[in-house]
Order: sequence, then C-alpha cells, then structure tokens
Amino acid sequence: MTEASPPPEEKGEKQQPRDAAYWAKRVERLEVSAVPDGAANVNVQGRREVGALQGFGQLWQKTYRVRLTGVETTPEETVRIWKERFPEFQPPNSRFYPSMAGVAPGEVLFISASVGGMPVHTGVRVIYADDESFTVMTPEGHPESGWNTFSAYTDEDGTTVAQIQSLARANDPIYEIGFRIVGATEQERLWTHVLKSLSAHFGVNEPVTLEKACVDPKVQWSEMKNLWHNAGARSMLYTMAGPGRWMRGLMRRRST
Amino acid sequence: MAVRHLEVEVRREPKGAVLDLRGEINGFAQQALDAAYAEAEEGDPETILLNFEEVDYINSTGIALIVGLLARARASKRSLSAYGLSDHYVEIFNITRLSDFVSVFPDEKSALSEAKPA
Repeated sequence: MTEASPPPEEKGEKQQPRDAAYWAKRVERLEVSAVPDGAANVNVQGRREVGALQGFGQLWQKTYRVRLTGVETTPEETVRIWKERFPEFQPPNSRFYPSMAGVAPGEVLFISASVGGMPVHTGVRVIYADDESFTVMTPEGHPESGWNTFSAYTDEDGTTVAQIQSLARANDPIYEIGFRIVGATEQERLWTHVLKSLSAHFGVNEPVTLEKACVDPKVQWSEMKNLWHNAGARSMLYTMAGPGRWMRGLMRRRST
Repeated sequence: MAVRHLEVEVRREPKGAVLDLRGEINGFAQQALDAAYAEAEEGDPETILLNFEEVDYINSTGIALIVGLLARARASKRSLSAYGLSDHYVEIFNITRLSDFVSVFPDEKSALSEAKPA
C-alpha cells in the first residue's frame, strides 16, 4: 500500500499546494502488503487503477444526498465518523475491509460483494481524503471504472448534508449489460443504504435524494479488452477452486 | 486560509479558446467552469485550452468537474488540452488518469502550436 504525499513545505523546498497532503501518491499498479482478515486479494494486487475515462459503458454522474436534520454535527465530524465506520454502513451483501490505516490517502479497501448471488472480490484505493471528503478509485476488473466521493457540507439553512457522488461507467460489456438490466438499481440501493445507515447513526430518518445525469452516452468499444480482468468471472473461478485450495493446504500442513 | 473561489476568463486565440482559471477548483467551481466553457464553445473552436497557471487548489470534486468538461468536449468532437500545471497537478492528472485523455503542455505557446487552426 502507498503512503500519503509528504506534508507541504520542508525548509528550502518549493512550497506545495495546500491540497498536496490529501492526495495519494501515484502507483503504476496496486501493491498490497497486508490483506485484512476475511478479505480476498483476488482482483487487487497488480491491478491498475481506472478512472471515469477508461471504462466501457456510458458515463454516469449520480449524486445521493441526505440531510442530517436536527443534528448538531459539522461536516468534519460527519466525515470523521464516516471514515471510521465505513464498513459498518454497508449493506450485508457488500463487505468492505479497510487496512489498519483505515480511510487515508493511498490505502486500499478490499470489497467482497454478492451481485445477483454471484461473489465479486475486488477493492478500491483511496486517492483523496481531507477533513470534509474522501474519494475512492476503482481498479481494473471492478464492475465500475471511476470514482466515488463521500463528503459532507453545510447547506443554506445550516443543516449538515451527507453526500455520495459517483462518476463512473461500467468497466466492460458484461458489466454494462448487467447495469442496464438490474445493476444500476442495485447500485443505487447500495449507496442509499449507506446514507440511510450514516443518518441512522445520528438518529435521523430523512429520505435520500438521487440526482443522476448521463455525462457521456457513448460506449467505448476500445475498452472491450477490459473483459479480461472481469472481477466477477475471476471471483467465480476463485470460489470454484476453493475446495482445491483447501485440500492443498491440508496436504501441506500434514507433510510438515 | 481563505478560500479563493474560481474565476474564469475566456480568451479567443486564432487556434482556439483559452479558459484562464484563477483560484480553487472544488465543488464551488461548477457554475463558473460550466458558464465559461459554454461561452468558449460559442465560437465553435476545435480546441479549448485550460490554463492552470493561477490555480492553487484542486480536490477530487474539482477533478470530476474537469472530467465533465472533457466529456462535453468529446461529445462535440473538440480537443481539450491543459497547460500551466505545476508538477504536483501533473501528478494528480496522472493519478486520476486524466492525462490519458487531456494533452498537457508546459505553456500556452506549445499548447497552441499543437492545435489546429479554427
């Protein structure tokens, strides 16, 4: 895993912009030094990150919001709790496994999800994190290619609003078909659940609003090749090979 | 530190339109960026240049706004280029892989020399 960029300004060095400490360092490929208990490092190690421009499908921007009405919390406090309890706010079929460092620039979060009953092991990397927001970017093979930004702000009447904004497209043609049939709705349920859980933590039961816009309606046929990394297909093979791995492990233990 | 909301001026050059960006590119920048981009498009230029020389803060929401501009440029078959990025922001373009799609030049002269005449 990588570290955050160094803090700005050492004596004699050129002054870094204020945002420098919030961005992760660039990596050519994801490197995982430790896998959290329960996580599967199947489609993370060695994968390149992919943004909203690299995937196959239509590019969508979706913004989910919930108002934390009647709660005295600041955007900073909201995001601090969100970072600390990120895995707890997920639905049961989408488990996140943060590293020991938690949600911090450069850290990888492993994901084990069930999509239509099929296992999908993948992850995301935190590319940006400040006191009021954090952003994760997907690797090759993830169902989506893009970013999710989790943030909070104070609206005109002084209420703190928690927001998730995704800017992403399906990574390959199979995912694109899946998203068009049922996946997009499932994904909207997922992020609605996360905001509902966050607001419930504050004792709030407000509706979650969703705004969505198709930023680029074209599919990118040049990205057909992304099929090779499809995490769903690879996770299925990994699951099918589970008994074999167990047998090999057992034999190894007996021989030592 | 005081927030410097984004200000954008649109210039027209023989080989394209230039958006001179000044301040911070974050969630508050959307209106200014969208309005300036729409103004730049009015002359139907083949190339739109983003001048980052006076930009001193970009967060991840700001990067998403730039992706939005890029999507608009591609939809109308325009080229979108950038110049005046500090080393730090070149790195951010690399991290987010924006650099796969946005040509980055050191200065306006080199950016315009690559642009096709309007």
